[in-house]
Amino acid sequence: MTTTLTDSGPSTSPEVAAPPRRRRSDLGVRGLIAAVAVLVAIGAVVPLVAVLATAFSPDALPRYTEFFTSWVDLAVLRNTLVLGTLVGLCGTALGFLFAFVQARLDVPGKKILHVIALMPIVSPPFAIATATVVLYGRRGVISNGVFGVEYDIYGLDGLVFVLSLSLFPVAYLGLLGMLRALDPALEEAAMNMGASRWQVLRTLILPLVAPGLVAPFLLLFVEAIADLANPLVLGGDYTVLAGRAYLAVTGEYDVTGAAVYCVILLVPSLAMYFAQRRWMNRKVRTTITGRPSGSVHPITGWARWPVYALALLAAAVILSLYGTVIVGSMTRVFGIDNTFTLDYLEEVVAGVGVEAVLDTLMFAAIATPVAGLVGLVIAWLVVRHLDRTAWLLDLGGTLGVAVPGTVLGIGFVLAYRPDRWIGPVHAIPSLVGGSAIAGGAVAIVLAYVVRSIPAGQRTAVASLTQLHPYIEQASTDLGASPLQTFRRVTLPLIRPALLTGLSYSFARSMTSVSTIVLLVTPQTKIITSQVLSAASTGRYGVAFAYCTVLTALVLAGFALIRVLVGTGAALQRTATSERQKS
Amino acid sequence: MTAAAPELTTAPPREADSGHLRLDALTKRFTGRSGTVTAVDRVSLDVEPGEFITLLGPSGCGKTTTLRMVAGFEDSSSGSILLDGRAIDGIPPQRRPMAMVFQSYALFPHMTVAENIAYGMRLQRRTRDDIATSMRMAVTSMNLVGLEDRSPHELSGGQQQRVALARALVVQPKVLLFDEPLSNLDAKLRDAMRAEIRRIQKMFGITSIYVTHDQDEAMSMSDRIVVMNKGRVEQAAAPGEIYARPASVFVADFIGRANFLEAVPERVGGSGVTVTVLGRQLTVAAHPKVTAGATGAYLMVRPETVRLSAVTDAGTGMGVVLRSTFHGPTIDYEVETTGGTITVTEPGVDPREALAEGTNVDVSLDPERAYLLTQD
Repeated sequence: MTTTLTDSGPSTSPEVAAPPRRRRSDLGVRGLIAAVAVLVAIGAVVPLVAVLATAFSPDALPRYTEFFTSWVDLAVLRNTLVLGTLVGLCGTALGFLFAFVQARLDVPGKKILHVIALMPIVSPPFAIATATVVLYGRRGVISNGVFGVEYDIYGLDGLVFVLSLSLFPVAYLGLLGMLRALDPALEEAAMNMGASRWQVLRTLILPLVAPGLVAPFLLLFVEAIADLANPLVLGGDYTVLAGRAYLAVTGEYDVTGAAVYCVILLVPSLAMYFAQRRWMNRKVRTTITGRPSGSVHPITGWARWPVYALALLAAAVILSLYGTVIVGSMTRVFGIDNTFTLDYLEEVVAGVGVEAVLDTLMFAAIATPVAGLVGLVIAWLVVRHLDRTAWLLDLGGTLGVAVPGTVLGIGFVLAYRPDRWIGPVHAIPSLVGGSAIAGGAVAIVLAYVVRSIPAGQRTAVASLTQLHPYIEQASTDLGASPLQTFRRVTLPLIRPALLTGLSYSFARSMTSVSTIVLLVTPQTKIITSQVLSAASTGRYGVAFAYCTVLTALVLAGFALIRVLVGTGAALQRTATSERQKS
Repeated sequence: MTAAAPELTTAPPREADSGHLRLDALTKRFTGRSGTVTAVDRVSLDVEPGEFITLLGPSGCGKTTTLRMVAGFEDSSSGSILLDGRAIDGIPPQRRPMAMVFQSYALFPHMTVAENIAYGMRLQRRTRDDIATSMRMAVTSMNLVGLEDRSPHELSGGQQQRVALARALVVQPKVLLFDEPLSNLDAKLRDAMRAEIRRIQKMFGITSIYVTHDQDEAMSMSDRIVVMNKGRVEQAAAPGEIYARPASVFVADFIGRANFLEAVPERVGGSGVTVTVLGRQLTVAAHPKVTAGATGAYLMVRPETVRLSAVTDAGTGMGVVLRSTFHGPTIDYEVETTGGTITVTEPGVDPREALAEGTNVDVSLDPERAYLLTQD
């Protein structure tokens, strides 16, 4: 009887005894790996290596002693870490506030709150900073005009305010997902055993969510210390490492010094970034033994109103800032001379700004599909096809966010500004700087791609992990090659992730600034660097006009991507189930 | 709706005011964009203290909604719930003396087994000693000794289930509620847990309401089964009663397997109703609604109550075997008769000795185990 033998040890059954034979990878897959690896190497690894090589060259070594004995430099380091910590705390708190209101409170207007909370994602980097100066600065329309105070917004307080508002959507989305994923039956079980709403919150929801607060904190920390745009506009004499490195390159032409600052900035960035990844990947302590059951019981008592009011206040601040951007782009000097004018918008879309708008659009249009595709391919290779080397590719793909943009930009300058000669052959022409080929366009597109890959990669990895391999195995089994399977089975199924990935990539390209400001040349103008020069010379109307146009372009891009990619079935399904829940 | 069969109430006697639950025309309407749906329609039910009642029905029949209204997670649209004679409709779930065992167990993942079990007792502000005593008893009686410091995710499905039950028991609820608690376990474990739950429930004598769609589970555990369909109670009776004398075609069909043979009731007498079925006159028990001469009456015949015997002369039998299926302990035959195709379950024999397809057979029905009911 063969049926009774199943328990008698694995050695008797051949399919268990034989180790799974490693299939020789398909030629197409190998080609893909090579192409992706080359792109990541040129776009991220080489610049990073260039920075490290300069920073650890013999003449750079004394600079570390200088750095760690100079009070000025140490203050810069301390400033950076303080800024990261405060933005991490405030941004996470703000994200939690919005997520909690969204997921747990029985209050009106939650859909609008959701949209408001997501607005900073598509907004250009200087919009909030500039609007903050106009509204809440020393001569601010609200701070001075309404409350009559002369508040000095420049410095740490202004930076924390602006960066928290700009970066919190990431925390919000993550925490919202987590709160929604809590099995409502847990809450019902607690209530059922006599726990009041407050006790449910204290003994159940907060302890379960607490570990989840770490990841957004770390992520915001990384983003905050990497940010260059806001310190330039709003920092005042509060100097941070990113700004210091930028100044070393552009003001002091001290490339070695810049590289040293970069390395010192890289240490906490990479440490926090990889701590965050580790934290997210650790085994989640939840028991999912059946389908989640029960329904969410939103908080209905009076206690919801103070929390709601707090969220409304934050939403009002966000709205006031974006309102200022739009109104400011259409008034002579918003707050002082509120005459309606289309001069600034005209300058942007029909005057000197056209060049920047068209260049930016073109570069982003080239970079977005490339970044989206590369991100997707990396995700697919990582999740399905590479086992031992997967982490390396995954790592390479994420360098675009893990490495601060300023560092990457300086890396580009170091690696690609000089012409590279191999013997008499002009091997690599200069890609960066005044004499670069195509006016530096190649470097800019490359920077866009590298900075945008992680967005698509992250969503695709998440989506692919959920897709059961059997579905792809069924396709392979029917005779499809891995690439055919990818194109005909996998791609259609993860279309929603592709849509999100492309949208994020486009938004990131269009709004990217910290790498780009180091790469623009007189021949190529980019909107974000135009905003920077307008904002730092006090021409707020022009800055606002650029921001308005940029936001409009990003939203139009979203719509176009949606039409081109099509909305996936899964997205619609989610929408329906959401509706049924409410 | 029939009253509880008293001889089957196995729970020990308890005082009159401990866990007597009454549902009085309980109704739940959901209003969605496609109009109003009545999920639970005037359900009335009396649950005796210590009784184990099962709500059974297909998905969407309203059984879970009924349970959730009892627990307080859903508000009723009309009707009321009374516990020991007091209406509890407006009382929030945390103040109802009930404890639920969830389908997903809903163990708190950030607490150990012991913390999970102690959770409800801590909320009741019981003393440390009291908690420790109850804990020891719960852990021992649920075979959880040695697992107290484990995390829920380190437990097997059956162990998680027992923790969930222990956690519900220690708060000393007046009513225990079960929401399909065994549907995530494999078949063997499910059988063991059925017996375990029933043992514990009898030991503590707690009134219990158990929701399931598994008729076998309902039959083997309950004092009484409440069969629900489309929000209404089709029948509430002891398992044996439900099986032998289903109140409707739906119940007969949902519980076990049944053949329905069209039959015209000819005479209603003291010993039963006389009908002619498959050319033979039988006197059978009938549902009270059946009247003489009524149309749309059916004789319900369970497959295992029918016997077949082969006849040698072609054309003389009452039916022809269409198909036979070997199941091990039993053999199923599908037999074409003048009253339609019926299913017959015979005790298993060697499949080679089974009646061949095309065999002419005589069909004999057992009038004692047949039941006459009407279609509506």
